[in-house]
Amino acid sequence: MEEKEKKKHRAKHSGPKAEKKRKRYLNDLGIGDEENARKRNPKAFTVQSAVRMARTFHRTQDLKTKKHHIPVVDRTPLEPPPVVVVVVGPPKVGKSTVIKCLIKNFTRQKLVEIRGPVTIVSGKKRRLTIIECGCDINTMIDLAKVADLVLMLIDASFGFEMETFEFLNICQVHGFPKIMGVLTHLDTFKNNKQLKKTKKKLKHRFWTEVYPGAKLFYLSGMVHGEYQKQEIHNLGRFISVMKFRPLTWQTSHPYVLADRMEELTNPEDVRINPKCDRKISLYGYLRGAHLKNKSQIHMPGVGDFTVSDVSFLPDPCALPEQQKKRSLNEKEKLVYAPLSGVGGIVYDKDAVYIDLGGSHAHEKEEEEVRPNQELVQSLISTHSTIDVKMASSKVSLFMDSTPLGSEDVGQEFVMPKEERQVDLKTGRVRRKAVFEDDEKENDDAASDEEDDQEEGDEEEAVSEDGSDGDDENDAEEESERVLIREGMAVRRAKRLKTEVAQEEAVNELPAFADSDDDLEMSSEEEGETAPEDSEMEEDEEEEEEEGDIQRTCEDESSGSESEAANKRAESKQYDMDSERTETKSQISEHSPKRKAVLTTDSGNCTAEEASESEDENSSLEEGEELEEEESHEELEAEESNRNGFQHSQAKKADSVGQTKIKTVDTEDDDVENLLREEEEYEEKIDLSADTTGALKWKEDLTQKAAEAFLRQQRSTPNLRKLVYGKAVEDEDQESEDADDELGGLFRVSRPDKASKQKANALDCSKFLVEKLKDWDLEEVMSSIRDCFVTGKWEDDKDAAKLLEEDEELYGDFEDLETGVVHKGKAAAGGEQSGSEEEEEEDEKTSKLEPEEEEKKKERMDKKRKLKEMFDAEYDEGDATYFDDLKEEMHKQAQLNRAEFEDQDDETRVQYEGFRPGMYVRIEIENVPCEFVLNFDPHYPIILGGLGNSEGNVGYVQLRLKKHRWYKKILKTRDPLILSLGWRRFQTIPMFYMEDHNGRHRLLKYTPQHMHCGAAFWGPITPQGTGFLAVQSVSGTTPDFRIAATGVVLDLDKSITIVKKLKLTGFPFKIFKNTCFIKGMFNSQLEVAKFEGAAIRSVSGIRGQIKKALRAPVGAFRATFEDKLLMSDIVFVRTWYPVSIPTFYNPVTSLLKPAGEKDSWSGMKTTGQLRYERGIKLKQNKDSLYKPIVREKRHFNKLHIPKALQKALPFKNKPKNLEKKGKTPKDQWRPAVIREPHEKKISALLSALSTVNNYKIKKAKAKHREQLKEYLKVKQKEDEQKFKRQKEAKKKVYRILGQREKKRQKSSLKGSSKGEKSM
Amino acid sequence: DFEASFIRLIDKVTNGSRIEINQTGTTLYYQPGLLYGGSLEHDCSPSRGIGYYLESLLCLAPFMKHPLKIVLRGVTNDQVDPSVDVLKATALPLLKKFGIDGESLEIKINRRGMPPKGGGEILFTCPVRKVLQPVQFTDPGKIKRIRGTAYSVRVSPQMANRMVESARGILNKFLPDIYIYTDHMKGVSSGKSPGFGMCLTAETINGTILSAELASNPQGQGAAVLPEELGQNCAKLLLEEVYRGGCVDSTNQSLALLLMTLGQRDVSKVLLGPLSPYTIEFLRHLRSFFQIMFKIETKTAEEEHTGGEKVLMTCVGIGFCNLSKTIR
Repeated sequence: MEEKEKKKHRAKHSGPKAEKKRKRYLNDLGIGDEENARKRNPKAFTVQSAVRMARTFHRTQDLKTKKHHIPVVDRTPLEPPPVVVVVVGPPKVGKSTVIKCLIKNFTRQKLVEIRGPVTIVSGKKRRLTIIECGCDINTMIDLAKVADLVLMLIDASFGFEMETFEFLNICQVHGFPKIMGVLTHLDTFKNNKQLKKTKKKLKHRFWTEVYPGAKLFYLSGMVHGEYQKQEIHNLGRFISVMKFRPLTWQTSHPYVLADRMEELTNPEDVRINPKCDRKISLYGYLRGAHLKNKSQIHMPGVGDFTVSDVSFLPDPCALPEQQKKRSLNEKEKLVYAPLSGVGGIVYDKDAVYIDLGGSHAHEKEEEEVRPNQELVQSLISTHSTIDVKMASSKVSLFMDSTPLGSEDVGQEFVMPKEERQVDLKTGRVRRKAVFEDDEKENDDAASDEEDDQEEGDEEEAVSEDGSDGDDENDAEEESERVLIREGMAVRRAKRLKTEVAQEEAVNELPAFADSDDDLEMSSEEEGETAPEDSEMEEDEEEEEEEGDIQRTCEDESSGSESEAANKRAESKQYDMDSERTETKSQISEHSPKRKAVLTTDSGNCTAEEASESEDENSSLEEGEELEEEESHEELEAEESNRNGFQHSQAKKADSVGQTKIKTVDTEDDDVENLLREEEEYEEKIDLSADTTGALKWKEDLTQKAAEAFLRQQRSTPNLRKLVYGKAVEDEDQESEDADDELGGLFRVSRPDKASKQKANALDCSKFLVEKLKDWDLEEVMSSIRDCFVTGKWEDDKDAAKLLEEDEELYGDFEDLETGVVHKGKAAAGGEQSGSEEEEEEDEKTSKLEPEEEEKKKERMDKKRKLKEMFDAEYDEGDATYFDDLKEEMHKQAQLNRAEFEDQDDETRVQYEGFRPGMYVRIEIENVPCEFVLNFDPHYPIILGGLGNSEGNVGYVQLRLKKHRWYKKILKTRDPLILSLGWRRFQTIPMFYMEDHNGRHRLLKYTPQHMHCGAAFWGPITPQGTGFLAVQSVSGTTPDFRIAATGVVLDLDKSITIVKKLKLTGFPFKIFKNTCFIKGMFNSQLEVAKFEGAAIRSVSGIRGQIKKALRAPVGAFRATFEDKLLMSDIVFVRTWYPVSIPTFYNPVTSLLKPAGEKDSWSGMKTTGQLRYERGIKLKQNKDSLYKPIVREKRHFNKLHIPKALQKALPFKNKPKNLEKKGKTPKDQWRPAVIREPHEKKISALLSALSTVNNYKIKKAKAKHREQLKEYLKVKQKEDEQKFKRQKEAKKKVYRILGQREKKRQKSSLKGSSKGEKSM
Repeated sequence: DFEASFIRLIDKVTNGSRIEINQTGTTLYYQPGLLYGGSLEHDCSPSRGIGYYLESLLCLAPFMKHPLKIVLRGVTNDQVDPSVDVLKATALPLLKKFGIDGESLEIKINRRGMPPKGGGEILFTCPVRKVLQPVQFTDPGKIKRIRGTAYSVRVSPQMANRMVESARGILNKFLPDIYIYTDHMKGVSSGKSPGFGMCLTAETINGTILSAELASNPQGQGAAVLPEELGQNCAKLLLEEVYRGGCVDSTNQSLALLLMTLGQRDVSKVLLGPLSPYTIEFLRHLRSFFQIMFKIETKTAEEEHTGGEKVLMTCVGIGFCNLSKTIR
């Protein structure tokens, strides 16, 4: 019993204890951890084979570098376009449910029906465009090209379907977007184990297709017709944090996934001809690359077009403003899906979306109405064009309006920088010095103005409230968009509202005034520069004064400027709308009021000190204000006494007049006015100069600054105008400008008419110097002195200084290599200058204890230097080529982002085109009417931008492989539908193989499992672009539809595919090795062409064509390596170039009527036609296979001449094998006949011999037996003997061994011991 | 005449282009083909220098299907066009900046030919590239050396030395590192007409190369020119060029801008001297053809003594890639 109670000890097999024990055990054995092993057995860890070592090293390096991607410049804009999420799957798998759930998850809104793309804001920095993809192969192809993320829905209860694999293959060809699998219908599994098994199976198959470890989501069950909330939430989170690698095609081409389409065709045209080509506008986010106006685009399923107009619109689904919050507001969770009917609705809870459609519709109508009305209408139209189509092409825009140069508009955007700089310089001085002057000035000079302004002020004061109210009312009445815009602003902060309205008003005027401004400026300048230089200075001063006034104006507006700047675009649009919808009188009412506001402000605020921050004001505004001032002054000059209202109308008229005037270039009155004003200003300046006698030096400064300002102003905008302006400006105007505008440096470059003609005559890039400077003069020489290394260097690069610095810091480094030292110096350079500056600053600030500071600084510097040196030495080792490349790319990306960042959109668009992320409206003309009539929002509309010359057609060579899952092989000259680039088109490819000598040999069919070349006539697409081929895009087949895949190799305008052609001929006369051959050629000339060509007989005898014969035409003489037979056929192998049919037929699936869009069919193959019409192919009888019958051949005997036989050695002599003839009868031997007695004897003898034989046999057997026995005995004896011997030997050896041992012992231990033991 | 020759040249380097000129020769229809390249020969009309043809070839050569290797025959140096020497000294380093390099990029002057009869021969080879690199080329650096060639054909070899002497006299005031090669061609390699001239290049520490050149009046046209005078004038021209400054020579401004335009979709910047009329016209063409506009900013040097105002040109490339190059 007791024994039973005792638990048997069980040794631990796992756990820390066991581990410890094992370790100890192993340690005891001396084979502990690896470290030990290395110590214990160093030989096992040495290099055994250098080759093997190298191989393993290579392998690891290979594996390492395999992980690298080629670094690419990250060209994604700061605000990226929404991510395109394509939901794919076979029918009835739950695609739309997933989309609905996702939308609901992100926006808390439920969409009933989903048509077309839906854009939602999914996070603070991410938006999604979700689109469903049907299983029509056209849709699949198109969407695979634009997808960023693919949600691949898989019905788990069914397993994978062909659509899934087809889509995967399409993706592989067109760049592989991120793919995420989603398993649905998991609730159909009742058995849990079954479920698990299926999941695993599907997962692994998915992994082999995409990549091991690809994410696969499981949507288990449905709750009230929706997926489970948590699962969808998880899915959404996955999507919104996903990162994407840029795909080559997508990043190199602009594209738009259109989410709205509108028809802009003139209804009259449609009425007259319902089938006429349409003009449409498409809306969507621009993605990929920058889009330029007038570029070529392709709409898959429709065709190629040229963009007639692009403009960007405010983002309908904008990302929230930057804020600290973690999650999104309810308000910011926008959704935008106009095709699903979401975009057009304004939700009542708050202003959620903006539908811009209304406004454009208005525009449309307006355009039609326009011709009837006159002056003002045209004015209005110009306004609208400036506003809406700022970026679009200038020529078309300003066709009907006066030459309101778009470059002028652009110019303003450029100017700010330059002006700003100057302002900085001048501003400082002025503010201190001119402060008093300003007031006085204003008191003195602007007194006239003041009257007006005051009047205006009062007017304004009275009407302000009313106008605001009006504004609001108008706005609400005017159009939806405006309402919403306003509404947004108003509802969020109602207090701001009035101000905003004002600002808008303020901004309104500039919208049309700014262009005038430039013109006037230029005219002013003309007036100025032409007369005298002395006047110039005065003018400058005057201008400067103007600037002062401007500044004061700005000051006032600066408070609200930031907002104004933000809403500039809005206000512009607002203007446009308002102008369109309002009547003429209304406009005239508005503008004067605003004007009044401005001017009064300026009047009031002159006393205010201008803040530094003003300098940041955009020059645009300055310009505007300046302009206003001027115009105001004009007014003043014309009619000094008027109330604001009248003013307004006059002003209106004036402005109209100005726009008119532009064609004429300058109006005399204006010039006069200006001149007069200039004079006034001069006087003022004089006054001010007198009053500020003490500050004269400062004035000088200002003058200088003004000069600089002028020069700058003249150079930059003029340069720009010079370069780009000409296209719009009139010729004469240009020439006028040329003479006057360009003072100073750039006069030379201006091509006036004479020089232009010269340029026409001589197209030469040389920049001829017209008047050489006198380089002997010292001053002139000194002007470029610093361009040489011998000149003065900048502080940070001055070698002497650097050396000095280095001495200080690196005095103790002596034994470094020269290279290292140099590097150190270079690095030190930058640092040093910085430190120097710091030092200088320090000196300025604290002169009390400069020495200590300096010393401390020096010490710090020294330390830093040392550290840098150390870092440089030790960290640089890690920098690989890859890292360098990456760094370079990163720098470039940064530069790309930074370059145009500070400019507003209109200008940016001019420089770099429309950047991805913008919501654009693209107008396209000449679209087939079927596209509009059969429009189905379920099918995606993609506008794919084409690169240069990608709109052309040519011969394209591909590397092609039949898809392994496609069941047939492809035949040359059968039409095939390719998806290449953006396009889908039908073409006729020719397959070929490249031989070793570079010859392209035509194939009749594609190889079964091999790559081959293919060439077709079609659109030029960059090399390296993937493509896929399908036999037909209509209907569905149970089989795999993708017939082939491949890549573009080469583009050309001619092609070199050849096929083999054998010309045959027959010998008609045979000499020894020469024979005459006929039937191969038809003329001597042909033969002459083939002289020297290699020919061959069917039996394999090679030969050469020698010369044409005269007798039968086309016959020739040929030599062979052997004698031909008359029955031989001779042939020559030639290569015949194949022409490729120039057949290129875009798949226009979107033009098919709704419901039939997946049934496009193009050219049919001959096989199909034959099948349909039941035509049997007539076969050539010769080509049919017949059973081969071979005749038995008889060979004659070998005959050796007698003489030869004689000479042969006996061995080789033919033996006389013929049978001997029958021996003659006389030589026959006679037969023996025995006597009876003799017979008896012979019988007896034979009997005796038999007995004897038997006896001998017996004896032999016996003897053998005896021998055997004997051997046995003998063996036994031997064994015993051996044993004995062995035993004896053992004994002997033992004794010997013992003896040996003893001897050894003794020798070890010493003789005494040995003796003892002995 | 030279235009016809140019069209013929274009026809030679392209494949599949269609050129139709009407009977009066007033309209030209041109349908571009693909740039083919290969090894070619062309006899240029002696009414313009080879530089006229070479300039356009320099723009096209990097985008051929096969590397271009062309022999041009005609007038190597004249007074109108940038001479081959200048292009060799300035345009090739510029191409290298854009990633078109390799040993096969070279211009070799086999024979010199002066106007009016010509008889010069050059060999121009250029490798092909798939894409061009964007450049940031805003700091010209200081001039560290001045090099040049003074050539004389079918005149006394002393002419070259006289030119060198006078040019050095002027330039030595600025820089000690001056070396002007004298190149006297004899026999076959001296072309058909006598003449002499010189071209000077100034290289900065950042690899910018500015150049100036002058050639003597062609035989039988205009007064004879003294080599001393020519040398002096050429040196002054170089100083003028230095005064203009910029990172690119004034003759190559358009080439630089074109290559910037044809680069990848990245920002490229280059600092130029005052734009030449040709460049301005070229910019307009660029806009009408590629829809590309340059951001033009003027830069005034902060310190004096560094020459005139400069223009900073910025643009985003159009992402052009060589469509004719074969991949394997």
